[in-house]
Amino acid sequence: MAQERKLKITVDHDVCVGNAMCETFASNTFALNDDRQSEAVNPQGDPLAQVLEAADNCPVSAIIVEDAETGERLFP
Amino acid sequence: MVTAVSDNMFTEDVINDPYTYYGTLREEDPVHYNELYDLWVITRHDDLVWLTRHNELFSSAVFKNDPRPPYPTIYDSDLGLYEFVREYQARQFIQHDRPAHLDMRKVVHGYFTPRSMEEWRPMVKEVISDLLDEAEERGSMDVMRDFATPLPLLIIAEMMGVPKQDRPYIREVAEKLLYVGRGEPWRMQNFSEGISEMIEYVKPLVEKRIVNPEDDFISVLAQGEREGVFSRDQVISNSSLLLLAGHETTINLLCNGILSFIRNPDQYDLLRSDIEGMYVKANEECLRHDSSVKSITRIAAEDVELRDKVIKKEDRIRWFISSANRDPRKFENPDDFDITRWPNPHVAFGAGIHHCLGATLVRVEGQEAFKAFAERFESLHLDTTDDKLEYQPSITFRSLKSLPITWN
Ligand code: HEM
Ligand code: HEM
Ligand code: SF4
Repeated sequence: MAQERKLKITVDHDVCVGNAMCETFASNTFALNDDRQSEAVNPQGDPLAQVLEAADNCPVSAIIVEDAETGERLFP
Repeated sequence: MVTAVSDNMFTEDVINDPYTYYGTLREEDPVHYNELYDLWVITRHDDLVWLTRHNELFSSAVFKNDPRPPYPTIYDSDLGLYEFVREYQARQFIQHDRPAHLDMRKVVHGYFTPRSMEEWRPMVKEVISDLLDEAEERGSMDVMRDFATPLPLLIIAEMMGVPKQDRPYIREVAEKLLYVGRGEPWRMQNFSEGISEMIEYVKPLVEKRIVNPEDDFISVLAQGEREGVFSRDQVISNSSLLLLAGHETTINLLCNGILSFIRNPDQYDLLRSDIEGMYVKANEECLRHDSSVKSITRIAAEDVELRDKVIKKEDRIRWFISSANRDPRKFENPDDFDITRWPNPHVAFGAGIHHCLGATLVRVEGQEAFKAFAERFESLHLDTTDDKLEYQPSITFRSLKSLPITWN
């Protein structure tokens, strides 16, 4: 299910440990790259609630979610 | 073979100073075949990260999949006990591969998110403050016995809903199970006794919560049984995994960290000069510099080529956190204890899908502990001489036997 709000999702690769929890919670949004670190491959891939749940479940708080238009910080 | 180092990893020299031994391997033969234990020894930071993130190549189901007897050898008469230990350990989710691992971890990990851990911070602070008040009243402290040992136990027991009066008993049982990675040929007797006692203890707690869920952590595991992810035996096994996983590891972080501050008083002064600004970084440097967990094992799921060596399917592998965290390719002046180091990409908690579940909890505990020391004590000193400090003969854990200190 796509979502209306345009998101800017950043994954900090200095801290991502590649445990793929984000992918588990929002599998249309996040995918691990060849280095097994997470990329937000499709920021509109899942409903906002699911993206926020993924960000909340990252064990190292590597995920930042913002509104792409207003710049409003949605997580953390 | 380039290296001239011996393959005996249990000598006093290697136990007291793992950094020289594994550092030599890291520089001279980073993918080393240890003939004595029939084991690949991996020591570089980038190899370790690569390996842990390729969980499809390196299985965590070591107890289930390793047909060989344990190393170092145990008494032949204890092989039956080993089977019991093996079967029990194999039920823990740390010993599972995907897809089962993911289902099992999902049941519990919501409890350990950074946000939910923050809710425990006030309780952690209170426990630390009580323990340090007691020590101050006494005027002396063995950091190991009086601080580092009770702290993680009190906290995890609280989270898991273990009644207060039972906590000394849990510690007693834990002692038997904490021979992990030590070489004694009779160790299986301790393990199997500890495991049986643990099962007996946890079983009724689980049974109660299957019927009447509470808001504690054993109830979360019990919910996993209701959802069909865990069998009853697995709930029991994993309850004890969580009850004990954090003990030895957290104890070591606290003791090794305090010892690093004693040996580097300039860094202690630095922490004290800006506690709010430094305590988070200081804790990460303690995790890196003298890491609690020295090594972890895997078993190859297929033939894998690594630095022109071929690791064959079913070969066993041990990756060394202690050498990866001192890898000069990754860290400047890696042997220096430098609490300003940032970012600090250490692998004290491993990486990939098995990255430590308790990392968020430990961070809260370590941060608050080092902060509390810095707030209370102007300077810290050993209440013994450096050469009297001894480590447990373990290849898995970096554990001091005791750490008596005084302060001003
Ligand atoms: C300083 C303290 C700690 C250190 C250094 C540490 C280190 C580690 C490491 C290196 C692993 C990876 C194992 C592997 O890849 O096979 C791990 C896994 C694990 N740790 Fe920790 N740990 C600590 C504290 C804790 C605490 C307090 C808990 C529980 C409350 C805990 C629970 C676990 C669990 C359940 C796993 C298995 C995760 C999985 O397989 O998905 N640890 N830990
Ligand atoms: C309930 C918690 C745990 C119990 C009761 C337990 C018990 C054991 C036992 C009995 C062994 C066999 C040791 C031998 O053959 O000498 C073992 C091995 C090991 N454990 Fe655990 N363990 C627990 C949690 C953990 C955690 C959380 C970690 C990681 C941080 C860990 C890391 C290891 C490693 C690396 C080995 C060595 C495996 C090998 O030698 O093949 N254990 N453990
Ligand atoms: S959950 Fe966090 S650490 Fe894990 S892969 Fe996603 S971003 Fe990386």
